[in-house]
Amino acid sequence: MLSLTMLLLVVPLAVGIVSGFVLRERKVVNLGRVTFGVILVLIFSLGFTIGSNNDLLASLPTVGLSAFVMAVLAIGFSVLFVVLVRRKVKL
Amino acid sequence: MIKYILIALAVGVAGGYVVNNFAAGFPFGWVTDYLFNASLFVLLFVMGLAFGIDEEAVAKLKGTGFKVLVVPFVVALGSILGGLVGGLIFRLDLFGSMAVTAGFGWYTLAGPLLTQILGTQWGALGFATNFLRELLTIVTVSLLVRVDKYAPVAAGGATTMDTTLPVIVRYCGSDVLITAFSSGFALSMAAPFTVLAIASVK
Repeated sequence: MLSLTMLLLVVPLAVGIVSGFVLRERKVVNLGRVTFGVILVLIFSLGFTIGSNNDLLASLPTVGLSAFVMAVLAIGFSVLFVVLVRRKVKL
Repeated sequence: MIKYILIALAVGVAGGYVVNNFAAGFPFGWVTDYLFNASLFVLLFVMGLAFGIDEEAVAKLKGTGFKVLVVPFVVALGSILGGLVGGLIFRLDLFGSMAVTAGFGWYTLAGPLLTQILGTQWGALGFATNFLRELLTIVTVSLLVRVDKYAPVAAGGATTMDTTLPVIVRYCGSDVLITAFSSGFALSMAAPFTVLAIASVK
């Protein structure tokens, strides 16, 4: 169930961090615009994956309301707990 | 900024739907695998780069150490509690509803897994709930960040290692990168087991 791609995600991140350390002296990086463009590509392909999944789309009308409420509750309690923990241990 | 993200999402959904239903033979893998993974890899590299260069971000991370593990732990607890409360509201089987939110937003895992163990109805709920969690995280990130810097990380659950990570880093800053990624990673590792374990109690 754990895909290889998932574990592979660590690679570009680690390479990026190491490169960042190396490039620190130079201070040339302003990749904001480029990054935002790539974020849009990522979100587009995420949407594409969702849109082409008929099972997922078919499930929304029947379970939509309870799914929405449960998603909000899961988010709400997760946020609440993290906020409480951050007050205690100062992350 | 969020406007463009929502437009990209909507165009993607519409495009995916149209192509899937009206254009047989379209090479789906090209968009859903190659384009998705390529953009994700580029973003992870760039986010890592920005983090490595930012001396403050690295300094802030020092001394957090094991506390980084506390975030995914409480997010897991919060998610499952959310499922419990949801189950009480809708009078569902409580272990079933907790198994649904124990997917932590990973809908491509929770959907099929719950379909297999508990049947189509629960599978559909697991699919939709976790998908909406991911969607709501992206849509509300600019509001959540005002509640707490780490609130979007909590909201994203398992998705903060990939799909929601770029958006979160964009709004919360480079210094949340490691916490967000490691939290998403830990929750992604845990999700198959939590879903399976809770669902099998039902």
